[in-house]
Amino acid sequence: MSAPSASSSPLRTLGLIAGLVVLGLVPLFMGAGNYFLGLLISALILSGLALSWALLGNLGGMVSFGHAAFFGVGSYASALFAAKLGVPVLAAIPLAGLIAAASALAMLPALRLSGPYFALAILAYSQIFRILATEATWLTGGAAGLQRYPGLPNVFGLNLADRAGAYGLVLLVVALVAVVYVLIRRSHVGTALRAIAESEDATRVVGVNSFVLKTWMLLLSAFIAGVFGALNAHIIGFLEPDYAFSGIWSVMPIIAAVFGGYRTVLGPVFGAIVIYLFDQLVAKSLIPVGHQILLGILLAAMVLVAPNGMSELVGRLFRRSGGRHAAA
Amino acid sequence: MLRLEDVSVRFGGLIALSGISFSIQKGEILGLVGPNGAGKTTLFNCISGLVRARGRISFEEREITALPLHKRARAGIGRTFQIPQPMHHLTVRENLTVAQVFGAGRSDPARIAEILDVMELSGKADADAASALALQELKRLEIAKALATEPKLLLLDEVLAGLESQAKRAFMLKLRELHKLFGLTIVIVEHDIETISNLCSRAVVLNFGQLIADGTPEAVFRDPQVMKSYTGAADA
Repeated sequence: MSAPSASSSPLRTLGLIAGLVVLGLVPLFMGAGNYFLGLLISALILSGLALSWALLGNLGGMVSFGHAAFFGVGSYASALFAAKLGVPVLAAIPLAGLIAAASALAMLPALRLSGPYFALAILAYSQIFRILATEATWLTGGAAGLQRYPGLPNVFGLNLADRAGAYGLVLLVVALVAVVYVLIRRSHVGTALRAIAESEDATRVVGVNSFVLKTWMLLLSAFIAGVFGALNAHIIGFLEPDYAFSGIWSVMPIIAAVFGGYRTVLGPVFGAIVIYLFDQLVAKSLIPVGHQILLGILLAAMVLVAPNGMSELVGRLFRRSGGRHAAA
Repeated sequence: MLRLEDVSVRFGGLIALSGISFSIQKGEILGLVGPNGAGKTTLFNCISGLVRARGRISFEEREITALPLHKRARAGIGRTFQIPQPMHHLTVRENLTVAQVFGAGRSDPARIAEILDVMELSGKADADAASALALQELKRLEIAKALATEPKLLLLDEVLAGLESQAKRAFMLKLRELHKLFGLTIVIVEHDIETISNLCSRAVVLNFGQLIADGTPEAVFRDPQVMKSYTGAADA
């Protein structure tokens, strides 16, 4: 069920995603150092989270301030599945995504709200999960956290636990999510969701069940955020509520997606990479404490220069250089 | 085809509609008239499901009073808004495709092409986002979108408003063509007496949320009570 689109071709989109994969593999072949590879892994985790946020924001018009809840639930669920039930880690990760999606069911009443009311409701919801994780010491270890749970395994001789293996796995999952995003956006459901984001009544009056479509988007977004939470948990090897449910997992994907251009698929991915690397390599060295303030300044500058983010800026530069070549 | 029985709507202390009862037969073109604030758009909102009403609304012998908006559209009730509400960032064709897939439950590009052709929007189908259309084109898109859901009953809310007389006459001819081509039943909200007289076989008049007349346009517009409420003068 594919919807025609005037604005993009599937070949171009698939080409861009292939380009993303190739570009992403470059550090592996160039023998990037462990430290930089570690940064890239974290940046890609943020890319996945930003994509899940943009899926909800772009397709459905729901601005979430609570993705930390899904990320945290996914982190804990996967660690607990693996540690307490002996579920293989690669099975525990998608299962954790399902648990994160199930946790989003509690948010369904908030779908009746719109704009800032939805954003505030989901923000409150994420806090509830942080408190639950802190108080349920019998399950989560409480504030002391979880440390003894399996990391990423060896698969067909490939050690996913080392940085290169983890990097490849996270990159693959980001690419898969990007493909799913493209397929949804190009379907009739995706077209209807974009329309819902603009005028819900105009879509309902032509037969679109906006509540059901928004529900599916919320569940899918929560699933993806949960999967990246789970991946992160098995890569870093420890969990505590203040980390897994930190507000940073709600705020950073918003900054990354808006900076990159949340209406495109690649915008959130590259936005997250640029923002994370800038934060870790530049901002932290300039202002060791409170370095996030520079991210705010960077985002404000981007919005002023290109309201649709980095993807708009890059598109503009390409058009300008194309025009110059044509003139020459 | 459509039956309203004792339909009432209250917004807080304001009674927007009070005990409205009438039926619409299949194939009719009915004019819904009345001064501003009479309750015409509220009545459309009740029929299409945007506003919950007390009383009973039946469509094709099935009670739809509690049916949600999207299910009424799928049942065959199409509507337009007084201020066009296109899906702004989508192209004209995408607007119609969404309406067809979700409203009619099928994807038929040939039918979309036919609607675009009839509504004289073929040249704009894939050009720009709907938000770039001029007012007249937006009004045509509004109707085209409703037609894409394959409605049996089409509710047109002041689609002729703001058009100068020549454009209005052309639009009236277009509505007659649609009525015949798609076998529609049409209810149209319109202020212009001449338009209602030329286009409609029957007129229903609302005033302060109450139904005050129901009959042929000639009979209705001879009614002194109607003329007093409608024009403010008994002998107008």
